[in-house]
Amino acid sequence: MNVWLRRYAALVRSAWLVDLQYRAAIAIWMLWNVTEPAIALGIWWSIASQGAVQGFGRDDFARYFFGVALVNQLTLAWDAWYIDRWVRDGEMNFRLARPIGPVHEAIADNIAYKARTASVVLVVWMLVALAWPVVRLPFAPGRWALFALAVVLAAAIRFLNGYATGLLAFWTTRATALMELQFGISLFLSGRIAPLALLPPAVASVAGVLWFPYVLSFPVEVLTGGVVTPEQYVRGFLGQVCWLAVWWAAYRVVWRRGIRHYGAVGG
Amino acid sequence: MSVRRVLRALWRVNVVEELQYRANFLASLLGTLFWIAMALLTLALFFRHTSRLGGWDYWEVVVLLGVFNALTGVIEAVLRPGIGELVDEVRSGKLDLILTRPVDAQLYVSFRRLDLWRFADVALGLALAGYAVVRLGRVPSPLDLLAFAVTLGSAVALVYAIWVALMSLAFWFVAVENLSVLFDAVYEAARYPVSAYPGALRFVFVYLVPIAWTTTIPASALTGRLGPAAALGAAGVAALALALTRLLWRAALRRYTSAGG
Repeated sequence: MNVWLRRYAALVRSAWLVDLQYRAAIAIWMLWNVTEPAIALGIWWSIASQGAVQGFGRDDFARYFFGVALVNQLTLAWDAWYIDRWVRDGEMNFRLARPIGPVHEAIADNIAYKARTASVVLVVWMLVALAWPVVRLPFAPGRWALFALAVVLAAAIRFLNGYATGLLAFWTTRATALMELQFGISLFLSGRIAPLALLPPAVASVAGVLWFPYVLSFPVEVLTGGVVTPEQYVRGFLGQVCWLAVWWAAYRVVWRRGIRHYGAVGG
Repeated sequence: MSVRRVLRALWRVNVVEELQYRANFLASLLGTLFWIAMALLTLALFFRHTSRLGGWDYWEVVVLLGVFNALTGVIEAVLRPGIGELVDEVRSGKLDLILTRPVDAQLYVSFRRLDLWRFADVALGLALAGYAVVRLGRVPSPLDLLAFAVTLGSAVALVYAIWVALMSLAFWFVAVENLSVLFDAVYEAARYPVSAYPGALRFVFVYLVPIAWTTTIPASALTGRLGPAAALGAAGVAALALALTRLLWRAALRRYTSAGG
């Protein structure tokens, strides 16, 4: 255990220092991640000008999409694109030759990147809240603790989902297209474009049996107060745990077979 | 040597190259259709809860979406593979090779390479806009069509100018590798009529980052919300933007000292 702690500390530290060189580029990526919820908020804000939309007033939309921006930053997973490139240009070989498996490096990169960027989003949120009372959240440490747990689970699901999909690059050159496909679907089923309650009921019930709502919508609603009853909490966390198990198993299977299947580029 | 002849030769090679990868065409087409479907579903979701978006009804916004897709096609087919590579070339010093050629560097950098298949996006976007106009039950007058042609042409010129301006920043900020992402981030907002945004944002999109002129104005022309005077205004804005970027490009080149210089 102690060994792994030291390994991870070193990996995260090194990832943190690498990111330090790319602060401007990272700021641009962050802007890119924040515009989508900002645009959605702008549109819903205008729609809600004539009154609440199924119980969602302007203030609710504002808090919801601030939550989406934060949770999205904390759960982003771009590993599939890296894996795809590494398999294609042969860099995967170097990574496989290292004494620690590539997945640990990826996890450390994620921790460093998310700590840096999400703290910026959080600071911006607090500054905005000073001037704009609408996006202030009530003081609720218990809720925030549950939110932290939900975010960690969501980030893990999204990471394993992206990593397993990315590993399909061992077989196909279009693994990233599968990520794009999921990205498009998640617009609706994860609640990126609207709170799930505003989707047609049939679509929302389909979302409930897939992993999409558990990686974004559920943590956001824990934070903003959309999830309140114990039953909602249990269902949400249970869904997260189940999908985490499913994607972990998928990752294990794809990794083992992929490594056996992989004939290095130029090899 | 005229830059036109050089470009024509480059494009011919380009076409021959791309024709080898015809499966890419299918993949690109499917991708575009998928994203158009997602955009239409998003609109359908908004319109479940409202009957108008910034004063526009459903099919009017679909006209705008068609224009947006056509412009995205131009961006992906021409701008990203051409001027989009500039950041990399400034950083690595490859720009030296281009500057020593006896042709206009701005035109050469901008139009040397095309991503052929993405022109299908332009066709699909215009087809979508056309279909939506039919669904509106409105026959555009020849004057409307003329205004649309002028404003769409201005929109292309304006988007090009924004890209040149943005990419020229690479001469000052060499370390920023993903300048084009900055454009992508802001341009997402052009999917919807500018009147759908709160006042402050509207001001930004009309005057500061003038993306409102690229989709809202041509779509307005096609749906008859716009007089010929406004079309001329759009052409004026585009001409001004092109002239300014030319000056900016010259200033940027004067700063260029090559890599390791």
